[in-house]
Amino acid sequence: MRFGKIALFAISIAFAYASPAQSLDGAAILKQVDKNLQPESFESYRKLINIEPSGAKREFLLYTLKKGDDKIVSLFLSPASEKGRATLRLGDNMWLYIPNVGKPVRITSLQSVVGGVFNNADIMRLDYNVEYNVQNIDDGKSEYLLDLKAKTAAVAYDKLKMWVDKKAVVSTKIECYAATGLLIKTLYFKEIKPFEGVLRPSVIETDSPLYKGYQSIIAYANVKRKIVADEVFTLEFLGKIETIR
Amino acid sequence: MRSSPWSSWAKSKPSGESHVRFTKLLVLLSVLLPASNLGSQEQTQDKAKFEVDLSEFQKEIDKLSTKPYSLGGFFELQPVLFGIDRSSTFTRVRFYRDLPSHLADLYGLRLRLEGSYKKDIFSLFVKSDTSVRYELQGWNEETKLFEGYASVKPNANFIFEGGKKTMKWGKGYAWNPVAFIDRPKNPEDPEEALEGATLATADYIRSFDGALKTLTLTTALIPVYQHVNAKSGELGHVNFASKLYLLAYDTDIDLMVLTGSSRTTRYGFDFSRNLSTNFEMHGEFAVVNNFTLTAINENGQSTARQSEALSYLLGLRYLSERETTYILEYYRNGMGFSREQMTDFYSFAQRSYRVFQNTGNDSGLVRAARLLDGPYGRPNPGLHYLYFRVSQKEPFDLLYFTPALTSIVNARDGSLVVIPELSYSPMTNLELRLRAPTNIGKQRTDYGEKQNDYRIEFRIRYHFGF
Repeated sequence: MRFGKIALFAISIAFAYASPAQSLDGAAILKQVDKNLQPESFESYRKLINIEPSGAKREFLLYTLKKGDDKIVSLFLSPASEKGRATLRLGDNMWLYIPNVGKPVRITSLQSVVGGVFNNADIMRLDYNVEYNVQNIDDGKSEYLLDLKAKTAAVAYDKLKMWVDKKAVVSTKIECYAATGLLIKTLYFKEIKPFEGVLRPSVIETDSPLYKGYQSIIAYANVKRKIVADEVFTLEFLGKIETIR
Repeated sequence: MRSSPWSSWAKSKPSGESHVRFTKLLVLLSVLLPASNLGSQEQTQDKAKFEVDLSEFQKEIDKLSTKPYSLGGFFELQPVLFGIDRSSTFTRVRFYRDLPSHLADLYGLRLRLEGSYKKDIFSLFVKSDTSVRYELQGWNEETKLFEGYASVKPNANFIFEGGKKTMKWGKGYAWNPVAFIDRPKNPEDPEEALEGATLATADYIRSFDGALKTLTLTTALIPVYQHVNAKSGELGHVNFASKLYLLAYDTDIDLMVLTGSSRTTRYGFDFSRNLSTNFEMHGEFAVVNNFTLTAINENGQSTARQSEALSYLLGLRYLSERETTYILEYYRNGMGFSREQMTDFYSFAQRSYRVFQNTGNDSGLVRAARLLDGPYGRPNPGLHYLYFRVSQKEPFDLLYFTPALTSIVNARDGSLVVIPELSYSPMTNLELRLRAPTNIGKQRTDYGEKQNDYRIEFRIRYHFGF
């Protein structure tokens, strides 16, 4: 009788975990990817570069603060025409502050602050595991291929295909799809460098079938762990982020 | 047009001369501006070989990190060609002694300077505006301190500020009925900076986990004296304003009040919320206690009515898959005039013009001019307005190019202004904008009686920073 109970318990556990084992692994891999891409709370400098088909390029320098799962703020430091612009994201809420306008305005994640292939959702990205569930994993020779599905309709891209380097456990390429199945853009993660002892991609390139011939790049520098008060991620501080830097 | 500061520069000139001068300038600029694009061509390189120079990037960051100050701003050149409606109420009242010709051209230069300095918990911020205009009488210069204030942040929960600054209350794009402290913005160009008010403010900020994410309480003291905020009501009083901001259930909510002896007490409420990743909704609601509206009938007899003025605004912002942005707002201006009151004023002004023509007696026109400097001359003096703007980001694969079409409609009389607009940034820090606001409306209507039938503005703005 006792053996029977133990056997029944063991079988129940086995059934309970047998089918989701794959998604459980996927979730763990995705969490590790997030951890390796960026610390949970940090400050960093980013250079955003738009490259036109002619080869002409335009550069934007941003200072970024992120805290926890759902708080991120970015401030444009250059060029002069964009200096002082700041974007704040609190979960699904996003605002843009333009110095000339002088007040934060709610914006949507699909808008682009500076033009080019990157939009607000790319520049103000939260951890992937916060916004996406792993639907499927393909176990390749040197890479995993994760199929990710947005947890809510508030997420900018409905589906992602993420290629993950098995050894470094960082994404190497991500394809972003709309709910209609349209490929919106592809992100390429490059130049893995140590930031505070952790190897992370320092350059993200993107192109899009919607912007044929155009390319945008984000380069990271000075990624450092930094924890500031939650109140820094509020509308009142949005025009004053420079004083935090 | 009357709502624009440019409009008052319109002077009588031979129309052919104005047109030729304006056209010559545009031709000259169209030759010079492609040359300016060389700046961006210098950055051109073979795309296939493009690599990010991380060491240069690091040097740039190190340089920025050591600077406690910043200085920047922009230069602006703006030629404007006005197509004047010589029979409109605005033109006849303002220029009855010497009616202008059909065309007038104006040239403006502007220098905006912004500086900041920070040390520990203290920071200073200054924004000045200098405009130089070429008019018939020659050059005219004006310099204003838009903002200049000191800020102290002892910790992340408190911010204390004092000096001249804008408060920018409200969520509306074209109008802000709850902006009790700021000067009214121009709905035809709502993103332009405004001159601030002299005041002292204290902010208390708290963040939370849960449905209520942020709470901010702002309090402000606004003195109104002969040399400080003199146009903000009765002199010799210190007024009080407060705003409570909540981010609750993913919705921005503000509750505000302004009270004191300079102006009647006013209360407000606004909200803004993203309904989806590409759809935002906002609104404002304001009540002004004991508001007195003084109107005149077509014979010039004035009547004053005191009541609670109720204003509100509802707006939507939608971004399509093709990156077209639509903004739609409805504004009920509780301090505005009814259609009949507006018609009466126009009839009175036009009758006064005829009296002047027949007798030389300008007393009616002098009175009408005084009223135009007051409530009848506001950008939107009526009761009900609709605002619509559609803009397309980077069509035809042309980066940094945005065409837009804006319209403001007086919903009561059907008159409107239509503003086609092209903006383009051919190189870093250089912005070009071409607009042609055109007023459409019958006689005795809001936009039909504006000073200009149309105006063509070309704005060149070059940003700089140190």
